[in-house]
Amino acid sequence: MSNNSSCTTCGGLCGGKGLVTLKEGVWTSNPLAIQVLGICSALAVTNKLSNSLVMGAALLFVCVGSNLFVSLLRNHIPHRIRMIAEVAIIATFVILFDQFLKAYYWEMSKQLGPYVGLIITNCIVMGRAEAFALQNPPLVSIVDGVANGIGYGVALAIIGFLRELFGAGQVVFFGMTIDLGSWYTPNQLMILAPGAFFVFGILIAIFNVLKGDDAEEGQ
Amino acid sequence: MNKIRQHIYTICFAIILGLVCATLLTAAAEFTRPRQEENKKAEEIRNILSALKIPFDADTSPAGLIEVFEQDVAEQTLGQDEPLTVYAYKPEGSDAVKAVAVRFAGPGLWGPIKGFLALEPDYKTIRGLSFYEQEETPGLGGEITTVGFCGQFEGHQIADEQGQWGIDIVAGGADATGVNEIAGITGATMTCDKVEEMINTIIEALASKREAYVQ
Repeated sequence: MSNNSSCTTCGGLCGGKGLVTLKEGVWTSNPLAIQVLGICSALAVTNKLSNSLVMGAALLFVCVGSNLFVSLLRNHIPHRIRMIAEVAIIATFVILFDQFLKAYYWEMSKQLGPYVGLIITNCIVMGRAEAFALQNPPLVSIVDGVANGIGYGVALAIIGFLRELFGAGQVVFFGMTIDLGSWYTPNQLMILAPGAFFVFGILIAIFNVLKGDDAEEGQ
Repeated sequence: MNKIRQHIYTICFAIILGLVCATLLTAAAEFTRPRQEENKKAEEIRNILSALKIPFDADTSPAGLIEVFEQDVAEQTLGQDEPLTVYAYKPEGSDAVKAVAVRFAGPGLWGPIKGFLALEPDYKTIRGLSFYEQEETPGLGGEITTVGFCGQFEGHQIADEQGQWGIDIVAGGADATGVNEIAGITGATMTCDKVEEMINTIIEALASKREAYVQ
């Protein structure tokens, strides 16, 4: 890590660190499926694919923004108030996104309700700021934010897609409709919170199976 | 000495960070305010329209909704002291009032609840009910906005068989058989009680001004 902080020209991206960071966030330590962080919102907003994607975009925006600014200020933030400073930066980005939704995507903002605002307390964002951005230069911190945002967003989208498909019988997305047809009776359970637990549990299992040996090594 | 300097630095840092964040947010709020207010207004109108059962396209833009509202709905005031604003539905080109709506509001369990109660021209039969602002517990009190709850009100009376004004939201639900009885939501007794209270307040206000609208 020390050689990374000393490198000024590439912002910490040299030696393939960017790719490693990207892979970690999206795959090997995916915030949802592997670290099991940020569950509250993942269970609450994933009853529709479109909601999941907007939530993923919100987290991506917040994570990139807060990682960048925490990283830029990492040598100036007094150690004692570093967490409060992080929260202030995170909250600023969350409220910015919330205001934007309220002004331009009212319907979406109504559907997501308090969960956009609750990103402030999302463990993923705080965790990345505290564990990564505070120790790393800005560019690689942005990559880390992007990676975790994508990791969260993709996992959320998978859950959202499956829940909407089996819960409503069809997925409506940007005017496109995937319909299971009339033979399928929509299962209300998938729309309700327990459905999220089932899909989420299966998602974690699949991630662990696909990752295979990596998971064992980690222990 | 060094320690004091450190503390001063910490305080200054906190102040500057706070100021920068606050300025950013104020700017953002100010910039988006016109659109947010338009959205809020449209949301209110959408609720008046749906409580009054005025047909409108669900995809109508905020400006379009305001247009429909101005065409079909007339605002009237009832009574002299503490006048009550009533939204009367007069379809374009006709003078007969087809329905009226009044706004009700009050404290909920977590935050304010606001909505509209629409009545038939007899000022006694409920035509529709809708909520446009509430922060009740999602899945419990939050269910008041669903068709399953709001739809129950339709066709009910705002007075019981004896002519006593007021509705009754019944806990447990199964016993809600009277003309003014609505089945409450299980697990949301507090919310239901508060909703009942605020609706009854507006019903009483309407009843006290009855001479103003009953011929």
